[in-house]
Amino acid sequence: MRKIATLVWKDTILRFSSASEILFFLILPIVFTFLLGGGFSTFATEEDTDSRIPLLVVNEDDSDLAQALLDVLSTSETVRVDIMSRDEAEAAFADETAPALLLIPAGFADALLTGETAVLDLRQLPDDNNATIAGRAVNTAVSYISRPLNAARASVTIAAERQPFADNAARHAYFTQSLALAQDLAAETPQRVTLTQPETATTQNGDYNPATQSSVGQLITWVFIPLLGTSGFLALERRRGTLRRLLTTPTQKATYLLGTITSQFLVGLVQMILLIGFGILVMHVNWGNSLGGLAILLVAFALTSVAFGTMLGTFVKTESQASNLSIMLGMSMALLGGCWWPMELFPPAVQNVVKVLPTTWAMQGLTDMVMRGQGVNAVLLETAVLLGFAAVFFAIGILRFRHD
Amino acid sequence: MSEPILTTKDLRKSYGDLEAVKGVSFSVLRGEIFSLLGPNGAGKTTTISMLSCLLSPSGGTAEIGGHDIISNSLDVRKIIGVVPQEIALYEELTARQNLHFWGSMYNMSGKALKARIDEVLTQVNLAERANDRVSTFSGGMKRRINIAVGLLHKPQLLFMDEPTVGIDPQSRRRILDMVKELRDQGMTVLYTTHYMEEAEELSDRVGIIDHGKLIALGTQAELTKVVGQQETLRLHLGEGHLAEDHLELFTAVQGVLSATALNGEMALSVTEAEEALPGVISKANAVALPIRSIDIEEPNLEAVFLHLTGRALRD
Ligand SMILES: Nc1ncnc2c1ncn2[C@@H]1O[C@H](COP(=O)(O)OP(=O)(O)OP(=O)(O)O)[C@@H](O)[C@H]1O
Ligand SMILES: [Mg+2]
Repeated sequence: MRKIATLVWKDTILRFSSASEILFFLILPIVFTFLLGGGFSTFATEEDTDSRIPLLVVNEDDSDLAQALLDVLSTSETVRVDIMSRDEAEAAFADETAPALLLIPAGFADALLTGETAVLDLRQLPDDNNATIAGRAVNTAVSYISRPLNAARASVTIAAERQPFADNAARHAYFTQSLALAQDLAAETPQRVTLTQPETATTQNGDYNPATQSSVGQLITWVFIPLLGTSGFLALERRRGTLRRLLTTPTQKATYLLGTITSQFLVGLVQMILLIGFGILVMHVNWGNSLGGLAILLVAFALTSVAFGTMLGTFVKTESQASNLSIMLGMSMALLGGCWWPMELFPPAVQNVVKVLPTTWAMQGLTDMVMRGQGVNAVLLETAVLLGFAAVFFAIGILRFRHD
Repeated sequence: MSEPILTTKDLRKSYGDLEAVKGVSFSVLRGEIFSLLGPNGAGKTTTISMLSCLLSPSGGTAEIGGHDIISNSLDVRKIIGVVPQEIALYEELTARQNLHFWGSMYNMSGKALKARIDEVLTQVNLAERANDRVSTFSGGMKRRINIAVGLLHKPQLLFMDEPTVGIDPQSRRRILDMVKELRDQGMTVLYTTHYMEEAEELSDRVGIIDHGKLIALGTQAELTKVVGQQETLRLHLGEGHLAEDHLELFTAVQGVLSATALNGEMALSVTEAEEALPGVISKANAVALPIRSIDIEEPNLEAVFLHLTGRALRD
């Protein structure tokens, strides 16, 4: 099986020959794990109060995003939004009629769209508990609107990486489309994140840990998407004619496919190990009590992902089609599979429908093990289902495999 | 005559309604350069693709080295080398890495492969660029590596599909010389081109293909005979002698059909060069006309193509 080894060697060089690959391989997953892991931590502390705390708000940014932020804030149970002009607000804040003042500066949305740091000006009265609570409410709202935003922005970055946009208008259009998708998905979840508390309290070990949720979900997302990229690999080899040339050598189709699948699979495994390491070292995630369970589940998931990528590769014509599809499908399957929000937030009907996605099963298995501390037996079903997916995808991919 | 290494019988290929190759039969003999000459879209690549086991024929058969291309494709693929029309390399890999990869695909390995890689790199004159990425190469250099890959396992039969398309004259020259060297070393080459000059320079035998049909087949001499066109004697005269002054004299020589003059050269159309030559030379001696050299030009393949199809090879 020297040929398989050579194919793996070749694929690995190809894969890491562009610096952008490192972005997908490690940087994006880590950034997202970190961002979302931090974002969730604000949920747990929000409290219900009957008399809501007044929050002065000055909106100088005439944008949908600013409006969205206000909408979210206005549904808050902790703060009561008072919108006014800057002068009025500053006067009121000086009079201490409210403990906090939120200033949305002009350009806030633009900064977010382009991925720069968007600055919100939040002034709080010193040593004031109400000011602290209002601050948390603002944080929650911000993280609420920025999650779909992150997803959209990530998908723009990824798309641009693979296939540069013709112009800024195209970038914006793509962004808006991705944002709408992400927002729609977000809309499936109940508006107020405070609802999560009773649900998570019923889990077995009780201590719902946002860093864990985020590590697990991001691991699945970011292993899944690059492995779907197997489709792009196949498209690339077709376009370059290297696949045709390969089939004129005394090398069987099956050998070629096996080599390609093996290399993508191995890269996926290495990536998982690195991300798990990051989870342990930086996010202090406890990956559960069953190393064996974790291993079989992740191997099964990586196989499913490569198989899905292989199948996808027989449907796409070009590499850009492949990368667009990989990102779109990968992102939406990850979102719907509960990798970005706890599955408990989805309406029961949705929870059932998304069982057709491999990401759902992977996430469920991982959650059982990592967040509920269950052992290897708990993930046997999920592993079997994932292997079933893999078999079906591989079969379709191999049957449809063509060199032109 | 040597035995054929490749034989096709009534080979056909249809893409949907379009019949790209319409029943092609020919043999390639061991040790020869056989050219398939034809315009764009004639069916050259389609034919080569079938012979290299990439496309399955819609009809007909072919045997290479005694192995059927359909039922025994693995054995066929072991003895053929393929230089595809489009450069098929991994740009991210260095030249040496590419050769290593393709060598392994031909079941080569270890020291033997290493030594062979150095050999072919020298052969295509790229040894000093061996460790550079192919993406940094010029078009001509990529073409040469593309050829080197096809040579690695010393195939008995090498398919070269328009290997000189779109490159500079020097690289082209080098490739043509290389093809002849390969033949001299005993390799059999099936070469496709739409350049008449290449087919003329390289081929032992030529098949002319048009609209998926082989419309002529043979040595160049045989093919041009078919046309029945005259040969041309081109006389290069010494300094200061005007060809124009002597045209009438030479048209009177037996076997000369017509005479034209151009830039101190005289071109005589003759039915048969060998027959007309003595008369022409004695006439020149008689009038003390110094001849520096004489070229005999056979009718070319372009003329054959024109004769058979009523069209120019390149349009
Ligand atoms: N995959 C395909 N699907 C449909 N038609 C094809 C396909 N490949 C080639 N053809 C058609 O078959 C005919 C022969 O094409 P082929 O590539 O064999 O010609 P060629 O002689 O190699 O031409 P060129 O000199 O341009 O390379 C053309 O009409 C072409 O359009
Ligand atoms: Mg061609």
